Amino acid sequence: MELKELYQLMDRFEKSGLWELAWRRDKETIRLRKAPVAATSAAPASVATAGLAPSIAVSAPAPAASRTGQGNEIITAPLVGTFYRAPTPDAAPFVEKGDRVKKGQTLCILEAMKLMNEFQAEYDLEIVAVLAENAAMVEFGTPLFEVRKL
Amino acid sequence: VIRSLLIANRGEIAVRIIRTCREMGVWTVVAYSEADRGSLPVRMADQAVCVGPAPARDSYLNARNLVTAAVLSRCDAIHPGVGFLAENASFARQVHEAGLVFVGPDPEVIELLGDKIGARRSAAELGLPLIPGSDGPVAAGPESLAMAENIGYPVIVKAAAGGGGKGMRIVRSPADLDEVLKIASHEAERAFADGTLYLERYLENPRHVEVQIVADRRGGIVHLGERDCTVQQNHQKLVEESPSPVVTPELRARMGEDAVKLMRGLGYAGAGTVEFLVKDGRHYFMEVNARVQVEHPVSEMVTGVDIIRQQLVAAGGEPLEVSQAGVRLDGWAMECRINARSAGRVTEFFAPGGFGVRLDTFLHAGCTIPPHYDHLVAKLIVAGKDRAEAIARMSRALDELTIGGIATNLELQRRIIAHPAFRKGAYGTGFIADAFKEGAA
Repeated sequence: MELKELYQLMDRFEKSGLWELAWRRDKETIRLRKAPVAATSAAPASVATAGLAPSIAVSAPAPAASRTGQGNEIITAPLVGTFYRAPTPDAAPFVEKGDRVKKGQTLCILEAMKLMNEFQAEYDLEIVAVLAENAAMVEFGTPLFEVRKL
Repeated sequence: VIRSLLIANRGEIAVRIIRTCREMGVWTVVAYSEADRGSLPVRMADQAVCVGPAPARDSYLNARNLVTAAVLSRCDAIHPGVGFLAENASFARQVHEAGLVFVGPDPEVIELLGDKIGARRSAAELGLPLIPGSDGPVAAGPESLAMAENIGYPVIVKAAAGGGGKGMRIVRSPADLDEVLKIASHEAERAFADGTLYLERYLENPRHVEVQIVADRRGGIVHLGERDCTVQQNHQKLVEESPSPVVTPELRARMGEDAVKLMRGLGYAGAGTVEFLVKDGRHYFMEVNARVQVEHPVSEMVTGVDIIRQQLVAAGGEPLEVSQAGVRLDGWAMECRINARSAGRVTEFFAPGGFGVRLDTFLHAGCTIPPHYDHLVAKLIVAGKDRAEAIARMSRALDELTIGGIATNLELQRRIIAHPAFRKGAYGTGFIADAFKEGAA
């Protein structure tokens, strides 16, 4: 898909009543999702998650970790939960774009059933992109990070 | 009042629930596995949440992900559908603990009814007629031999944690009893993690007749008449109808009263079914299914009551929209279960239509049937003014239904509906095994 078409799709999607839109052709998958209106509970790190800003992730239909076109890996959510980039609302995020991360280092928290599940890097890696919105609900398989294996 | 509902199920029952929600203005969130990503319920629901990979234990049985998905998508309630977690007391409890409504009875009631020995005891205490059997658990040894002698052969060995026909064995002579009890206990242990068994007299070729109940949480309870589910293969129901050809108005009244008495006594809420065996004009309590059943549409067609709607009304704390005096059984309804015999892509699909025909399905041309789940793919339901009209209509609708690309039991269903014994209404649960000895069509 051309970038121009993608932007048109994003605009149209934002106006629509849809929460989520998945589009697939050949090996290309695009999923647009509106973040749920920010939770009233302790929403950590006030990143601009305001309202219905569509978050966009372009990836192959991703199981646990899949490859992008550039040979990068996509780390996806292993459970349904709320995605937190930082341990507390006022703390700095565990990882930022460009960070080099050692195996075993915490990448994020997924909160499910009032349990904070910390997720660690399974290998040394570099964060190429953070794909999910802080404090947003993620479903099983939602892309969280694009990473490069080191 | 329930305004948003997470559907923790898939396939035709998910579609069925979404349809009623749409009519009631209830927002639907369907939980789905990766294998069902493009499925009809996912496309029909207002919202969809992927809860895990294809294997059911990681997705449709993943209580934590299901409850989290419901909480995070702001649902008021979870509907478990049929199968999967529908009769799982611990799941119902987790739903409650998360502050959500479980569309079904209370966990304690599910627990009690899940133990078939406990259910038998409750039924006996409330004065329902039981099949002669053991009062409690039995194990191999002299006591069980004496008990079986007392009950009278043939006896049937059943698992306390079983149900739906799983883990049952017939014993015709005392010489086999010990051996069968040992094997059955081992089997039950493996299948249900509980090897407890009990005995019942085995009724030869009875009718399987069940009574549909809906109950609210304010003391309102009604029965919606009976369904005859005698046409079975390996204890799996294939054709269901309402009313039953063998139930007289007097028997219907007695069975209905018994079913209401039992469910009221248990403090049951929601939709449920009391299953009986009928033999020589008498009914015997068998078990309770603490959920909505696959074959509920036949009762809907003769009563005009949307059972899923009543479930949601009751779960929301509202009174039922129907009273016993207002329940009328009009005409005759019949359902054929269409099962897939292979997984894969459906290349061609044509749904029958016309007067008195209803098709509950998630099939469409181009859809994929994943190999991981139950084989039920469609329920063809017809209604007519009497049984003959219902049969003629079913026969016509079965001829219209076209499913290409996967193997189904459609041809077997056509042969059942055309069979003289079926048309006469004179058969028992052994009908398929006797009439189609050469094997599945």
